[in-house]
Amino acid sequence: MDRSTTASDIPLKNRSIAALLAATWPGVGHLYQGRYRKGMLYLICIFGLYAVGFALGDGANVYWSWTNPLRDPEHFRLYYLGQFWVGLPAWPALLQATLVHFGHEPLFNGFMTAPLLDPSMDDNVREVMEGVVRRAFSLHQKYGGLKEIGDIYTTIAGLLNVLAIYDAFEGPAYRDEPAPDAHHRSSESNNGETPA
Amino acid sequence: MLVPILGLINAYWFALPLILAISLVYAASRHEAWIRILRHAARLFVMITGVLALATAILLLINTQV
Repeated sequence: MDRSTTASDIPLKNRSIAALLAATWPGVGHLYQGRYRKGMLYLICIFGLYAVGFALGDGANVYWSWTNPLRDPEHFRLYYLGQFWVGLPAWPALLQATLVHFGHEPLFNGFMTAPLLDPSMDDNVREVMEGVVRRAFSLHQKYGGLKEIGDIYTTIAGLLNVLAIYDAFEGPAYRDEPAPDAHHRSSESNNGETPA
Repeated sequence: MLVPILGLINAYWFALPLILAISLVYAASRHEAWIRILRHAARLFVMITGVLALATAILLLINTQV
């Protein structure tokens, strides 16, 4: 049997590439495998959930900071461990966190940057970061509850994409079940046989 | 732009699209046949919503007694 297909002949093509694509953008791995309807389902459900959550947080709820959770648990961004798995839509936060960590000014006026101020920051970095903190604070004041719902939406979206990545790599969990139309065809052919 | 409009909605309603997405994605990761995905997702949606509603009702009941 070809390693790239499962027992029920679901075309998984190159499973590693499919999983990588699924990890990069929800549903894309399945589109690559030709499982278009499932790919669209994942794209709409996972990316849709992430996009709505991101909008609820006004784009200020997906960020990361290189913080040791044991030394500074208050500033450790636990939500991002889930959000990360949405893929490319969440990865700019890693780049921004790395830039800030090494003392560089974040890109795009601090988009997806952690709202944290550090006394050791340069003046130009501090100026951008003060804007980020102001935005996050005003958002929380105006729509505090919605921002938290946005946190949950974006995090759950990332965790759901882990299921989609696994599905792209391994196929569905119940592989050996006959598809309804295949079952129908097999019972038709059995009925047509002449008994010995 | 979107946030002020959504701010008018009661927070509990935001659970429904979340449960729907969870049900569909979980069911899709279990099955390949579309009909099975939808059936499993519908069952899961009803179950999760039911459990949440029951838990809310119990907590509200307790809260009104204290």
